[in-house]
Amino acid sequence: MSTTTPPVYIAGLGIISPLGIGEESTFTALQANNSAVAPLRVFPVQQQPPLPVGQVEDLRGYPHLPRAHRLALNAAKQAMEGSDCRLDAVIVGSTTGGISQTEELLAEKHEDAGLYQYHGLTTVAEAIGEELHCTGELLTVSTACSSGTVAISMACKMLESGEATWVLAGGADSLCLLTYYGFHSLQLVDKKGSRPFDVTREGMSVAEGAAFLLLTNQKPSHPHGVLLGSGLSCDAYHGAAPHPEGNGAQSAMQKAMDDAAVSADTIDYINLHGTGTSENDLAESKAVRRLFKLLPPLSSIKGLSGHGLAASGAIEAVVSAICLKNDFLPANCGCEKVDPECGLQPLSTPVEQVVSTVLSNSFGFGGNNACLVISDTEKTVAPPQSESVPLSIIGKACITGAGHTMDSLGRFFTLESMAGTLDIKTIAEQLPARAIRRMKRFSQMALALAAAAKEDSGIEQSPHAVFMGSGWGALSETWDFLDKLQSTREQFPSPIDFVGSVHNSAAGQIAISHGATGSNITSSGGDYSFEQALFAAETFLETKTRYNTAFLLAADEAHPQFIKLLDASAQKAEFAADGGGSLYLCRKAIPGKVAIKLSFYGKSCEAGGEQMLSRLGGKEQIQEKCAMILAGIPAAQEAEGEQQLDVFMQTTEIDVPVIHYRKFTGEFASASAVAAVMATQLLESGEIPPGKQILVLGFGKTLTAMQLVMQ
Amino acid sequence: MDELTANIKEKLIEILNLSDVTPDDIDENAQLVGGELGIDSIDVLEMVVMVEKDYEVVINNKEIGEKVFSTLKNLVEYIRENSPKLMAS
Repeated sequence: MSTTTPPVYIAGLGIISPLGIGEESTFTALQANNSAVAPLRVFPVQQQPPLPVGQVEDLRGYPHLPRAHRLALNAAKQAMEGSDCRLDAVIVGSTTGGISQTEELLAEKHEDAGLYQYHGLTTVAEAIGEELHCTGELLTVSTACSSGTVAISMACKMLESGEATWVLAGGADSLCLLTYYGFHSLQLVDKKGSRPFDVTREGMSVAEGAAFLLLTNQKPSHPHGVLLGSGLSCDAYHGAAPHPEGNGAQSAMQKAMDDAAVSADTIDYINLHGTGTSENDLAESKAVRRLFKLLPPLSSIKGLSGHGLAASGAIEAVVSAICLKNDFLPANCGCEKVDPECGLQPLSTPVEQVVSTVLSNSFGFGGNNACLVISDTEKTVAPPQSESVPLSIIGKACITGAGHTMDSLGRFFTLESMAGTLDIKTIAEQLPARAIRRMKRFSQMALALAAAAKEDSGIEQSPHAVFMGSGWGALSETWDFLDKLQSTREQFPSPIDFVGSVHNSAAGQIAISHGATGSNITSSGGDYSFEQALFAAETFLETKTRYNTAFLLAADEAHPQFIKLLDASAQKAEFAADGGGSLYLCRKAIPGKVAIKLSFYGKSCEAGGEQMLSRLGGKEQIQEKCAMILAGIPAAQEAEGEQQLDVFMQTTEIDVPVIHYRKFTGEFASASAVAAVMATQLLESGEIPPGKQILVLGFGKTLTAMQLVMQ
Repeated sequence: MDELTANIKEKLIEILNLSDVTPDDIDENAQLVGGELGIDSIDVLEMVVMVEKDYEVVINNKEIGEKVFSTLKNLVEYIRENSPKLMAS
C-alpha cells in the first residue's frame, strides 16, 4: 500500500472571465495588462451612471439558462476538451446560482413556479452534470468569495483519499442586481474601478465568470500543474469584514502550505485575494508579512478582471496554472502608489521569470478563507488521514412546526405530524436579542439549532468547524433586498439584508457565536443539502484532538411568497413547513454514541441504485444490519421516488419498518436533517437492537444513503 | 426631546431591530457606533440609506460619516442642517 498521498494533477482547465474565453486569450490579456473593468452593459439598471464591473460580453450558447449556468457550462466544457474520462464528481462553488433570471422574473411579477427552476445553487452543478453525463456526486459549495477555491480543495481531498479518480471542480457566478447593488450598498465598490493595494483604493469591482479544473490522481500525459495542497479557515469575527489582523487569512495560508508540505521560502509567487477594499487588502497584507519573512513576488489580478466572487478562486487557480506553464507573473493592475500601511510591493508590470510553486488566496464574507498551493512539480507528502474514523454524534437538536427538539420528536413518537412553521419568537427564545437583531428566520433557526445541539452535548467547549446545508438559504433577506430594491427604483437597497442574504451568512454567524475557526462550509443540494453537508464534514473534519469537532446542520425557511415559486415539493404540500436539524459531531469512535456515515450520494439511475446497494455492503449485509428505514421522498418526485424505494425493498428483500419521514416533518429541503435527528434519538433510546442500523435514504432526483448506528 | 430627535430614535430602533431598546434608552451624547447599543459599520450603512431615503441627505464620505454618526445628537443636527425636506417644511 502506498504510504504517500497520490499527487493531484490538473488534467484540463477552462476559463471564461472579463479577461477572455479560454486559456490563451486569458494569458494574452494578462500580458497586455489592460483592465477589463468597464461600466455595466450586460443588463440595464435604473441608477445612472452604471458602476464599473467585470463582465463577459460575448457569452454564447444555452440562451434559456441564467448567465451563471451559461458561464459555468462554457468553462466546464473547455476543461473537459480532449478528455474522455468518466467524471466521478462535479463540484461547483457558487454564491448566487441562477438569481439573475429570478430577478427578471420577479420584476415582471411572474407567478408560474416552473419558470424559477434554475434559481437554486445546485442547478449549476446539475446543468454541468447533465451536459457531461456525470452520474456521480454533483456537489455545490457556497462560501461567498472563497467558494471556487473550497470546491477545488474538496476535489483535492477526494482525489488524495482515492475516493475519486476524476473530478471537475471550480466556480461560477454571474453579475446580478443582488451583488451589483449589494456591494454598492456596503460602499465597497470603487467608482474608478478596483485598484488593489493602492493608497487611494476605494473598493472592489463586482465581476462575473467561471473557471474549472479537471483534476485527477492518474498522471495525464501533459498535466497543467499539480495541486499540492489546500487550507481552509474561518475568521469567526464578522459577517462582512475580515479579521483586522488577517488571523484567519494567515491560518488558511499556513494550512495550505502545511498540507502541501512546502515552506514559505519555496513559494515563488502569491496570487493575492486583493479585492481593492480598504479592509481586505490591509488584513491580507498583514497576514502575508507575518508568514513570509522574505516576500516573494505577488499581485492581485482583480484590478484587471474585477472580482468574480465564487468564480474568483477558480479563475485564479487557472491563472496560477498559466503562470506555471509560461513562467510568467501577472501585474497588480490599477495600483499606482502602494499603500504604505500594507507594506507589500505588488508587481507593477507583468514579469517573465521561472515560477514553480504558487500560493493562491481567496477570502470571503462570513470570514471564509481558502488557499491553494499549485506547483509544476510533484512532491512527496504525508498520507491522508484515515477516512474510516467515524463521525460520532455527541449532541443533537431539531426544529419543526411542532417546536424545538423534544416537542418535535415527541410528536414523531406518537405518530403525529410535526409539520408547520414555528413562530419566530419560539425559534429564537434561547438566543440573546442583540445577537440576532440583524438576522431573519433562516439564520435565527440555524443559530438556535447550533446552540441547542451544543447544549444537548453537555460539553462546554464549542466545536471547531461548521458544515451547513441549505436548499434555499436566507430567503427572507434575499426577498426583502430585491423587494426594497424594486420599490425604490433601485435607489435604496438594504446593506443589512445583503449581508444576510449570502448563503453562508448563517454558518458564519454560528462560527462567530461559538468561536469556530476551523473549516466552515455551506453546501447546497436542493432536497439533499444535509447529505451534502455531511459529505463536506466527512471530507474535511480532522481527526486531531481539539480540531476534530464540528456542527453539522441544515435548515430551510418557508418564506411565504418565495418558497412556493422555488420549491416544487412545497407547492404540493397542504400547508407550509420548515425547520432543520443539527448534530454536534466528533471525529472519533466513542462507544455509547451514535455514528453517522454518508454511504452513498449519486444520480438516481439504474447504475446509481446498484452502486448504492453495494456501498451499503450488499443485500446480505443490509438484511443483517438494517433495523429501520427512514425514507425521504420529496412530494414533487413522489412517483419516481416510490418506485425507487420499491426496487430497493425488492432487491434487498428486507422486512423492516419504513417510515416516510416527510409525512411527519412536512415538505422542506432540509427535512433529512430532522430525519437524522429522529434516527439518532431512536438509537439512543434503545428501541433499536444493539448492532443494528437505521438507514436514512433519499430518493427522487438524487439517491442518498446515510447509515446511523450505535457504537 | 424634540420631534426630529424622537423620530430618528424610533427609526433607528426599527431599522436596526433594537427590540430591547426604547427611545429613552438612547443617550444623545453617548458614542453611537461601537457604544452600548452594539451598533457597527453595517448598521451605519443601513442608517446612511435611511437618512438619504427619508431626509434626502447623502452621506458618502468616510470622514463626514465618522463625524455625523459619532453621536445621535450629531446625526440629528446634520440632518437638520442639510435636509432639503426639513428646510422646505
